[in-house]
Amino acid sequence: MKHHFLDRYWFEFVWAMTIKEIKARYKKAILGFLWIFLNPLLQMIVIGLIFQFFVPVKVENYFLFLFTGLLPWNFFALSVSRNTPIIMNERGMIKKSNFPRESIVLAVVFSNLFHLLVAWILLLLVLVFDKVFFDRYSLLQTTQYVLSILWTIPLIGWLTMLTTGFSLLFAALNVKYRDVNFLVQAIIPLWFYATPIVYTLQLLPDLFSLLLYLNPMTGLLEMFHAVLLKQPVYEPQLVAFNLFLSILFFLLGCWVFMKEAPYFDDWV
Amino acid sequence: MAKALQNKLTKKNTTSTTITKVKKKTLINKVKTEHVGPLAVSIRGLKKKYVLHHEKPTFVEKFFGRSTSEEFMAIDNIDISIPKGQKVAIVGSNGSGKTTLLKLICGVTKETQGEVKVNGRVVSLIDLEAGFHPDLNGYENIALNGLIVGMTRAEIEESTPDIIKFAHIGKFIDAPLFTYSEGMKLRLGFAIAVHANPDILVLDEMIATGDANFQKQCIRRIESFFKQHKTIITVSHVMEFIEPYYQRFIWLDKGKVKMDGGKEVIVAYRKTWK
Repeated sequence: MKHHFLDRYWFEFVWAMTIKEIKARYKKAILGFLWIFLNPLLQMIVIGLIFQFFVPVKVENYFLFLFTGLLPWNFFALSVSRNTPIIMNERGMIKKSNFPRESIVLAVVFSNLFHLLVAWILLLLVLVFDKVFFDRYSLLQTTQYVLSILWTIPLIGWLTMLTTGFSLLFAALNVKYRDVNFLVQAIIPLWFYATPIVYTLQLLPDLFSLLLYLNPMTGLLEMFHAVLLKQPVYEPQLVAFNLFLSILFFLLGCWVFMKEAPYFDDWV
Repeated sequence: MAKALQNKLTKKNTTSTTITKVKKKTLINKVKTEHVGPLAVSIRGLKKKYVLHHEKPTFVEKFFGRSTSEEFMAIDNIDISIPKGQKVAIVGSNGSGKTTLLKLICGVTKETQGEVKVNGRVVSLIDLEAGFHPDLNGYENIALNGLIVGMTRAEIEESTPDIIKFAHIGKFIDAPLFTYSEGMKLRLGFAIAVHANPDILVLDEMIATGDANFQKQCIRRIESFFKQHKTIITVSHVMEFIEPYYQRFIWLDKGKVKMDGGKEVIVAYRKTWK
């Protein structure tokens, strides 16, 4: 049987699976697609209210700081934790037909990416609004700021790559070793606190610096903060090393998944 | 219900079999002496090994090097060439490797050793509801399941009206799938698969789906596949059903080909029944 990879059929398949993923999520909701906007808005309000009062972080606007970090993190954490057991959950399809297995994982990543982008636009609107009305930016300064926002495009690309890499890796490993799912469920909350989302790196004692280097999300979030909030970057070499790690994990994920995918049927 | 259908099928075909008996004999001889024409399926030195787990392997156990497993040969060194247009039935008792062989031909799983070459689009009429999503409506499910059986988007768009007509879904087509009856789901699945224009059709004995009218429709469609010179591979236990339709029979036993040929295979296979 012909195996498709990166051809027309493959793209059509991944696209169709992504559309299914997005459509199916809102099918039985009364407000339907409105939830794409409502969900991040509610999250923004709830988390902003809670954290603002008891975390002693010295940043200009803690609410915006929190949200610039939370959106990418949620995308990452949701995609990885949903993708880890997904081959098992879709065993009905796996056992019966031959289709590009990676499309199941990619569909989850891309549908979450779609939701991230919607929330991201909302966040950017709030950020620009904040700069114009509270910081009294001039027209030139506002234009400069809006242009600098374009930097988030490659950053979201980096985030997507990292998320895809971990998703493929854990999804493939979990087929043979079911404890990977338990490990991932346990690690993700810890990972959240090991990433500068609710705090800035300047607050951390030097003791943790090795941990920072090994967590590819650190450099990524530092960059998001730097671009959108003009926060100083902790260490440029940290960002570079984290980018390198991300590429490594992405390649590892792709390799493991492609090696294991033809045999999924034997294990599910 | 399935039984009645098979009887009907056999009745219909007895006349044609007697006429073409002479013709078939020559065909069978051809099979034995390696075909020259284009091959639909070519299987060389095929082996499929499964790991028999006595306990679930865990990452932790692997880490400490403690894992008990045993190997099991489901397909053990098989060579089969199926020329285009041949109708092949695979017989054998449970656990003889029939399903594994079909899975390897369909590409659901991959061989441990050897090779499987398939020339053309394989469509299997075994499980037709694999890609259905209960929350999506009929149109959306056609679009998705059509891709799963191997159609391109353009082909799906073109044949969607035919599929809906064939499946008798009617006004339910824009309702979510969980509101469908079991029969409607089966009909929709079957309709999508038969519109996929297969080169190689993989059949199961459970093709009888839906009510009497739909059964007739299914049989007519499958008969047309038989007439269109499509390659057809089936797995069946019901001998009366497969006998008149197929030219070649492959008897699998413990993952090996025990016999390969014409009607005499069935005769020999039947002798093992107690």
